[in-house]
Amino acid sequence: MSTINVKVAAVEEVTPLIKHFRLESEDGADLPPFSGGSHIVVTMDAEGRTYRNPYSLMGSPSDTRAYHISVRRQESSRGGSVFMHERVQVGMRLKITHPVNLFSLSKLAHKHILIAGGIGITPFMSQIEDLKAVDADYELHYAFRSYEQAAFVNELEEKCEGKLYCYADSQNERIDLTELLRHQPLGTHVYVCGPSPMVVAVLETARNLGWPENNIHHEEFSAPPVGEPFKVQLARSGIEVEVPAEMSMLEAIEEAGVAADSLCRGGVCGRCELTVLETDGGIQHHDHYLSDSEKVSCRSIMPCVSRTKGKRLVVDL
Amino acid sequence: MQLNFNDESFRDDYSYKNSPEAIKRFPFPFSEDHYMYSVNIEPHAKGAKGSVYEYTFDVDEHYVSECLDKSVTLEQDPGRYAALPHMMTAQWDFLELAMTAMANDYPEYFTLTKNGNVWTWKNRPLEIIDTFTFGDATTLPYEPFEYMGRQMQGDFVLLDQRDGTLYADAGIVTSQADWSLAFNTGMSWQEWHGPVPKVTELGVLDRALKYLLNLQVANPVRRLNWTMTINPRLDTSPENYPLWAIDRKKVNDETVGDLVNLRVELQTLFRLPRSNAIVFGIRCYLASLKDIATYPRWAKRLHRVQKDLHPDLIEYKGMTTYHRYVIDWLAQFDDGEVLEYGAHPE
Amino acid sequence: MERGYWIKSKPIYTSLTWHEKATSHLVLATGIGGMAVLKLFQQMHPTQPVTVLYGKYGQIELDYSDTLKSIIQDDLHLYKFEEDLLKKLQVLLRDATMGLRIYVAGSEGFIWDVVAAAKPFGIQESEIMKEQVDTLARTVYCVHCKTITKYVTTNITCCNGCERMLFVRDHFSRNLGAYMGLMVDAESPGELPAIEEIYP
Repeated sequence: MSTINVKVAAVEEVTPLIKHFRLESEDGADLPPFSGGSHIVVTMDAEGRTYRNPYSLMGSPSDTRAYHISVRRQESSRGGSVFMHERVQVGMRLKITHPVNLFSLSKLAHKHILIAGGIGITPFMSQIEDLKAVDADYELHYAFRSYEQAAFVNELEEKCEGKLYCYADSQNERIDLTELLRHQPLGTHVYVCGPSPMVVAVLETARNLGWPENNIHHEEFSAPPVGEPFKVQLARSGIEVEVPAEMSMLEAIEEAGVAADSLCRGGVCGRCELTVLETDGGIQHHDHYLSDSEKVSCRSIMPCVSRTKGKRLVVDL
Repeated sequence: MQLNFNDESFRDDYSYKNSPEAIKRFPFPFSEDHYMYSVNIEPHAKGAKGSVYEYTFDVDEHYVSECLDKSVTLEQDPGRYAALPHMMTAQWDFLELAMTAMANDYPEYFTLTKNGNVWTWKNRPLEIIDTFTFGDATTLPYEPFEYMGRQMQGDFVLLDQRDGTLYADAGIVTSQADWSLAFNTGMSWQEWHGPVPKVTELGVLDRALKYLLNLQVANPVRRLNWTMTINPRLDTSPENYPLWAIDRKKVNDETVGDLVNLRVELQTLFRLPRSNAIVFGIRCYLASLKDIATYPRWAKRLHRVQKDLHPDLIEYKGMTTYHRYVIDWLAQFDDGEVLEYGAHPE
Repeated sequence: MERGYWIKSKPIYTSLTWHEKATSHLVLATGIGGMAVLKLFQQMHPTQPVTVLYGKYGQIELDYSDTLKSIIQDDLHLYKFEEDLLKKLQVLLRDATMGLRIYVAGSEGFIWDVVAAAKPFGIQESEIMKEQVDTLARTVYCVHCKTITKYVTTNITCCNGCERMLFVRDHFSRNLGAYMGLMVDAESPGELPAIEEIYP
């Protein structure tokens, strides 16, 4: 995968938990344009290990001077967001991938309902720019814990010109999903990005109301879940890799120096799919890529997010 | 590098010809003695100097005549260009990709000057100079996709990505191997490949689609495809089938070497950045069997591939009427020598 | 059928069954398609509102109007002409909301007329449940002159536009709602295979 060398041009604390980074290309050239909803994978070289985390691009797709990402500090995480918060400073060099879009707007939609929870607002920041550029009909529904902890509300209010609806948990404000989705005109598409329960609620509500699958979009980058440590044997490379509790199988394989293909690192795109040759305890599938029957068959695993329940796994790599 | 552009035709008197250099760089598609569909997709990386892979879009000695032939086809049937309204962002993406690459790779022929959103494009071989505003289609004589597509060899289709598949939602198609843009516009990946035999059983289509859905901006890919065409005719469209089908009957032992052309498509796929669409380029190279036989290695290989080609493929590629003449003619070059893997001429 | 393989673009039709999840239902049928509607109403009636548009045009013995009137207590509209039925469809879609489910029963030509009428409202073809009844007659697009010829029942047909003899392929365009017709004797002018009625 080709990468771009960038330098950190600005860091801003948006809320106590969220930092905003402005990235410019190292040589000062323009960065590639992108489409709203795209993400990049940032490679972080910490002592002893490498983190690769996907972050949505939230700037305007037409501004190719810089990319903007926002990172929420996840205390429970395995270190990537903590590294971004504590170690990354202005002037620092980072490697990023070219933008990839796995959460794109439907160009045929007559209306777009965007639903964000917390830091899930980021992909919508760039999508709104695309929607405004073609004068599309849209609404942005943004739920967060409290106004103090909510990022970019003022900026969005200005940008969205009356199309922003905010819901603060602290003030007992909730999105009534059934009410919202029941009265939308034909040709409406709904997009959700946020914590898992919110995503599930939107998907279920829309489906129960008879929305076609093609009109329902979600982005759910699972950070690789922690789990029990296990060993994975790479049959073709002939080596065995220890996967610690707080590291994903893909990360452990990469640390061992084996080139594994990957793209989104969030269980969405399917690029890192590995064939399972042997398992002594079945697979904990955390991805959104394999079908239910494929998951049951345990013949494939997405090492970016999934693990084994057993002690040992043999894969064709 | 300075090319001498041929003055030649792809219809009527068929004065098309390949120079020895053009034959030598012909993208011969067979590395083995047997052929079947496969997911033969590889990175569209910069290839050897002088090869058809040297640059993003290959411009060769046929450039001027081919663009002229394209304009004739479009004039006779404007339906060879189609773009659904939601593809306008992809159209500009395409124009930018093509202008940037061509100006960068062939500075002696093409120049792109940008002054903010006001761009000036110079195409010396076709004697075109236009200044326009990027993003404003009214400042160009055609829609941006058609404008640039007319100045390039080969066909282009813009694919919109949605519903977990790719839709052929725009195209400029004048040198196609018997498929109709007007009929196929708006079709999904599975639908437009509907008539291709064998691929479903082989699972080739699903795997290729999975791959393409994840195609990245900086990592274009390519593959070769092939068929055969009587006379060096670019426009072998179903629309004009009544004009060219009859030529198949003209093939016999005496004419086969001149009339039958190996038609190779260099297919390239690029992710477009602003629209997230994919551009599918289909560049056609033609070489008569006599051209191919310049290199005995190619003639032997082609003979073996044709001899055991699956009957469904012979039928699908429309070769049934004359295929035996091809095999008989090529047999004279095949001494049975074992050929190592590879499509190189010598 | 073209030999040796199945063309994936050819639509596959089903029998109508109610979608469990919906906010409202719209059923469209013509002629003998009335029978498919009656069968649909034999199934457990949905809790959401149902509207039925029925075109009784066609042969008189295929008119299910009276039976439908006695069976269907929901919003039922009867039409003599397809264009009136399609006009009503457009009126209904203008005010409809997400969650409306659409069901069509009729000839293939009618089915794709409905698809075309619904498309501008953002309704995808794949979301419309379709039951093909009555004739197998095909709508054929002449790839040479772009003329559409309707109600083709034979393997080879004469184009209404350019009068070429067209072989009717299985290749189907959802956009055009038609099968591709390709000149059958282009290689050997005048040599026509036997013409047979295979889409009665």
